[in-house]
Amino acid sequence: MKSIKTLSIALASLFLLGGCELNELDNYEGPNATINGGIYDKETGELIQQDIINGMQIEYIEHGFENPQTQYVVVKNDGTYRNNLMFAGDYTIRPVRGNFVPVEPEEIVVKGNTVKNFEVQPYIRVRNARIERQENKIVATFNLDQTVTNNVSRIGLFAHQEPNVGAPLNTVSSVVNLNEVTNDVTEYRLEINLEAHSGSLKPGNKYYFRVGALVDAPEAKYNYAPPVLIEL
Amino acid sequence: MKNRSLKYLFIALLVGTFSSCNDSLDVEPKNKVPAEAVLSDPNGIRSYLANMYYELPVEDFVYFPRAGFNARGNTGSLSLSQYGLEAIHSEWPNWNEFNNQWWTRGYQLNRDINLLEESVAKVNFSEAERSAIEGEIAFLRAYTYYGFVKRYGGVPIITENQNYSTDWESLRVPRNTEKETWDFVLAQLDIAFDKLPETRNSLDETKRRATKWAAAGLKSRVALHAASVAKYWNRAPLSGQAVDAGLVGMPATEANRYYQEAIKASETVINSGRFGLYMANPSSPQEAARNYQKLFMQPNDAMTEVLFMKGYGHAGGPLAHDYDGWNNPNQTGEGFPHVGRTNPVLELVDRYENYEKPGEASPIVTTADGQVQLGDFNPSADYIRFSSPEEIFQGKDARFFASIIHPGAVWKGTEIVIQGGVIRPDGSALTTKGSVEHKGTTYHAYGAATSNQYSGFDGTPNMTRTGFLLKKFLDEGASINTWLQSTTDFIDIRYAEILLNYAEAVAESGQGNADLASQGLNAVRRRAGHTVSIPLTLENVLRERAVELAFENKEYWDLIRRRTYHQIFNNYVKTALVPMLDLRGEEPAYIYIRKRVPGAQPNTFPERDYYSGIPGVNNNGVIQNPQH
Repeated sequence: MKSIKTLSIALASLFLLGGCELNELDNYEGPNATINGGIYDKETGELIQQDIINGMQIEYIEHGFENPQTQYVVVKNDGTYRNNLMFAGDYTIRPVRGNFVPVEPEEIVVKGNTVKNFEVQPYIRVRNARIERQENKIVATFNLDQTVTNNVSRIGLFAHQEPNVGAPLNTVSSVVNLNEVTNDVTEYRLEINLEAHSGSLKPGNKYYFRVGALVDAPEAKYNYAPPVLIEL
Repeated sequence: MKNRSLKYLFIALLVGTFSSCNDSLDVEPKNKVPAEAVLSDPNGIRSYLANMYYELPVEDFVYFPRAGFNARGNTGSLSLSQYGLEAIHSEWPNWNEFNNQWWTRGYQLNRDINLLEESVAKVNFSEAERSAIEGEIAFLRAYTYYGFVKRYGGVPIITENQNYSTDWESLRVPRNTEKETWDFVLAQLDIAFDKLPETRNSLDETKRRATKWAAAGLKSRVALHAASVAKYWNRAPLSGQAVDAGLVGMPATEANRYYQEAIKASETVINSGRFGLYMANPSSPQEAARNYQKLFMQPNDAMTEVLFMKGYGHAGGPLAHDYDGWNNPNQTGEGFPHVGRTNPVLELVDRYENYEKPGEASPIVTTADGQVQLGDFNPSADYIRFSSPEEIFQGKDARFFASIIHPGAVWKGTEIVIQGGVIRPDGSALTTKGSVEHKGTTYHAYGAATSNQYSGFDGTPNMTRTGFLLKKFLDEGASINTWLQSTTDFIDIRYAEILLNYAEAVAESGQGNADLASQGLNAVRRRAGHTVSIPLTLENVLRERAVELAFENKEYWDLIRRRTYHQIFNNYVKTALVPMLDLRGEEPAYIYIRKRVPGAQPNTFPERDYYSGIPGVNNNGVIQNPQH
């Protein structure tokens, strides 16, 4: 009798024990670190302008896991980025598919508020960009200083209400296919005729204008000058 | 005493619990046929085989990228033709979900095929029948893996049935490279071609079940696709682990080998002498339009052109479809709840030639200066004035009139009214619901007083927002007032496609017989009422392909395989042609506005979506596609 009682208690506790894990709450800690920084031109030290839509990304892989997934952050238009929901730990990190010469992955330690800047070589520096209204036109002039020997495939002037304006986000654009190697002396000029686009660029409203150039390289993105706000 | 009985009860309970392996509950269900019974009997295998055809990834009337294959019921009719430059959806003009899945269903089908093969080996068939079924298995497998490779790139090739095991690692099969997967599909089609019969018991069966010619036709399509991926990979190269391992992408040096395969397979079909274009020599464009319409409305009368088709039947049952219901104009909607969904866009309309200018696209000209610019109505612009809504389309390719319902077209005996507004005598435009009184007559903004008398532009989902409606495949004799009433069959592989595949492979690679390719290209044009031959150039072939195969769910894959999707859909808005009744002159006249589709936002194709993401990589352990 006693042995049966013991046995049944033992069995019952065995079942209960087995069931315990199901009752436990998720008690893992949440993200406890942040990371931020920017994509800088290694020569001039300036932030490199980017696109948000279909733009470059920073990929990172956390160490210590089997078959880990690659995670990524999107870089803002001005070339900075921030992720406030990181787990402290060791990471392999690399900015990819950008408007700069591809770089090697780096090993970093993320802890507390980590600052990580990337110094890269942009494919093209858009210099001396001037965007202004001349009567019924928006006229942009600029020089291109390319740091690689590839062709420059396209140059463009883009317009949109948002400061995120660029090739993937614009209401009106003026794009020219160049397909040539450029020199930093030639002045390029692009125009948007405001009369022809009065439906999209309405007088009295403010719009952002931005010029950019795209190099002919795999997965390359446009290099830009900063956007300019103009009231029409 | 009480204690003792409790004790026995307890022991009995424990014994009962631990010895529950009693087979009294293992009852064979009476309403299901066990797998062994089906797969051990020749007739069982034949009916099992029939279901494989149903499951094949044929992109037909019941394929919708989001809902998948054989999707019936309220799918929204978000069809493949609305993704590219053929059409836009009337209710969801901004639909752009590119990452659509077929992985799980695809591998279920693959397993069914493997199971079939395993069973066939154990069953008594005559040698001839066994060989034919082996050919059929190779065809089904090729079709399945073509469905995989064009969506995912290289995938795990699994040709033997995997048995359930808790040794998970043995079930995890790594991906083959994209090149290996394409080569596997082509090799399966060679086996199929060797083993399959040329014809079957009846014409119906010959066209609906795999034959040598279905295999050769599919090979022509597959090899052209593979060749294009190899040739144009560099237009949108990707990077990452999957690329480094060759799981997606192929070197350009492979292109010519695949073009050669496409050329050989197409020549096999062309030189067989068994196929031709339906009604190849019409006497007039009007006759050509009727013939071309009938080819898709009654494909069973046009069997000479069919290499492989998918049948439907039993109106009201699960084997019928709703293509007519979804796509009839509002005026002939006849009570179906959702009509007018596929709206052909102006880009496609522009590509149809005019008989006066053979060999070039013929954009719709709306202003006297002959320019084809986009924009809203401009009171100071010099619009060309037409006395009837259909006059502006005069002289267009017969296939335009057979594929698309335009403003003023007569459909099911009704004149289809498509009008976007009225220009008042003072030059201001009325584009919202309302009317204008002028010289004692009332002119309504959308062409008629009540919404059942017109078919466009009032902004509701049953109305076209582009100025055009779909005609191809629709049954003009049918009356559709509820679900599942359409039984029109779908031609999956037809002779005209083979001629155009051949022309493209020859024009792209310089291999093959240029005269034969040019003859094929011009035969397709002659059937459409053209009398002037045009030279074999890539531009001519691609334009001809766009208009001949419009709405047959080919254009989407043309954009994918030729890597032009991201070039076209880069912050891009599709365009519409809006007819307006202009009251400014002596007599009212129709003018037309070329503009962006109302309500459509700019659309950008992400380059990563040249391949879909693979679901469940944490479990199946395969390498994910770039950026997914």
